[in-house]
Amino acid sequence: MAARSKVQPTTTGATTAAANAPTLWTRLARNHWAVVSLAFLIAVVVAAGVGPALYQALAPADLQPLRAPDYQDYTISGPSESWPSATHWLGGDDLGRDTLARLLTGLRVSLAVALLVETINIGLGATLGLLAGTLGGWVDGVVSRLADMLFAFPGLLLAILISAIFGTAAQDVAGDMGRLLLVSTALALVSWPLMARFVRGQTLSLRQRDFVLAAEAIGARQSHIMLRHILPNVVGLIITAATLDMASVVLNEAVLSLLGLGIQPPGSSLGLMINQAQPHLEQNWFQLAVPGLTLTLLVLAFSFLGDGIRDALDPTTL
Amino acid sequence: MRGFLLRRLGSALFVLFSLTLLTFVIARLAPGDPIMQMMGNRRDPVRYAALQHQYGLDQPVPVQYLQYVGGLLHGDLGMSFQYPGRPVTTILAAGLPVSLKLGLGALLLSTLVGVPLGVIAALRRNGPADRIITTLMLGLFSIPSFVLIGLLVWLDLALYRAGWPALPVAGLQQPTSWVLPIFVLAASSMGYIARITRSSMIEVLGQDYIRTARSKGLSAVVILGRHGLRNALLPLLTVLGPSVAFLVTGAFVVEKLFNLPGIGNTTIQSIGQRDYPVIQATTILLGVAVLIMNLITDLLYSVFDPRIARQG
Repeated sequence: MAARSKVQPTTTGATTAAANAPTLWTRLARNHWAVVSLAFLIAVVVAAGVGPALYQALAPADLQPLRAPDYQDYTISGPSESWPSATHWLGGDDLGRDTLARLLTGLRVSLAVALLVETINIGLGATLGLLAGTLGGWVDGVVSRLADMLFAFPGLLLAILISAIFGTAAQDVAGDMGRLLLVSTALALVSWPLMARFVRGQTLSLRQRDFVLAAEAIGARQSHIMLRHILPNVVGLIITAATLDMASVVLNEAVLSLLGLGIQPPGSSLGLMINQAQPHLEQNWFQLAVPGLTLTLLVLAFSFLGDGIRDALDPTTL
Repeated sequence: MRGFLLRRLGSALFVLFSLTLLTFVIARLAPGDPIMQMMGNRRDPVRYAALQHQYGLDQPVPVQYLQYVGGLLHGDLGMSFQYPGRPVTTILAAGLPVSLKLGLGALLLSTLVGVPLGVIAALRRNGPADRIITTLMLGLFSIPSFVLIGLLVWLDLALYRAGWPALPVAGLQQPTSWVLPIFVLAASSMGYIARITRSSMIEVLGQDYIRTARSKGLSAVVILGRHGLRNALLPLLTVLGPSVAFLVTGAFVVEKLFNLPGIGNTTIQSIGQRDYPVIQATTILLGVAVLIMNLITDLLYSVFDPRIARQG
């Protein structure tokens, strides 16, 4: 502890994070799995971002236009349960809809939900954890009890309950977008307590470090200590936790879709595609393999990247 | 020890209170008037009042909550909206044996297979057996259950087409119908348990008391059983709670895709019918099941490792 405090400047803990930045990337680059995962995720983001527009521009004339903005696609053409061909690169599903088109719009749903959940997770969970750890007292009490209350629901139960009860209302108010927001909120409610707990724990241990005690001794305000000394040192933890959490969020969104609680047909999401392909497994296993494999790879990529970031941030593991 | 037990019981009661309160509040916030939906087009104020009274919805909300909790204590989970007058307990009771068999079967399978594989991997550390087990368990842990179902059903179909004996993939007509659902439900926990066992066993095998036991010339069986496994299994108890939580969510998927008449499937049907009391009851039922499991885990832990209770 004493040796570590030497590297910390007396007042500005913030500079250490910036000074670490170049070595962070080189350390991450040394982890091959993390690099491959990052490349894969970037490719997926690009595919989901420009894919639907590109598809619309290049698709054969016999395909009806892909209605990307509202997450629906009616590209019905050709035989149902078809295998990959020159016109349909990934074949078609039971209704003859092009699987590539559905995959591209489905990826949008997965990524949008992951992004929304982590935004709420960081905005709510990390903030509350930081406040609870720094201020202590009744703030800590309220945040910790609130988190404990939500921990009472095992696994996805709370998300299932909320999406089941408010699903139709959300759909009536804002269509598929409403569903998307509801599912994200429900999943974020499940994951923020864990984020808050991580950040609170780290904050509590940082409060005992010499540079924070020194800042307190010279009369720094609580808000200054929290934002300038503690926050820069928990950012790494927050990014790691959020990346790892994305793996479970992508999976959980698919589970909710599978149970009929996510995006509704004729919209597209990976869980919905799996649900629709399952009964036709006997005729065409490929239609199940496409969304299934994509989902598995997404989950693995987020996990490997999260592990890689954690290892890169923590010098003791290397 | 007594203080420890009281504290654990206190926190369990708090969890139970949160579970019922949040579930009740969420269900109360549900949009739409359930009585109106139940009555359909017949707008009869007298019948409306009667139904409202029957469901206790004419009382103030706090009283409703107390009545709800009071009912729970008597094993009364409320009445269905979809089938007016029918208690939720009878709707769920039909599925309970199926879900219990599925869940307990998966818990047993994942432990009985996961622990020995973890021990073997630890004993043959970095050898070919370890590599195979570790890779296989990581795969089982990471693969989403519905992808695993697809893979297994596809393999099963291939077997069937080749004229080999194949397993049933839907319903529960034969005893062998249980094989695939239980395996799929157990897969993720199995991988998790094997990995925890391996790392904890490796740590224990490096301890001084194992070396002492070896130097005393004790047999491998005694070293492994009395000194190794007994200590290595302690961390496993802590993951038993989370494993059960895994199983609960997994059971929804497995029951739906294998079309099993368990409470998961009943609940999914109720979601479609907007029968909120059933969804509410399932949430509380499964929450309490996990709560009890966590309490048992805590108790076992304090029995096996008295230091825990002393520290609190």
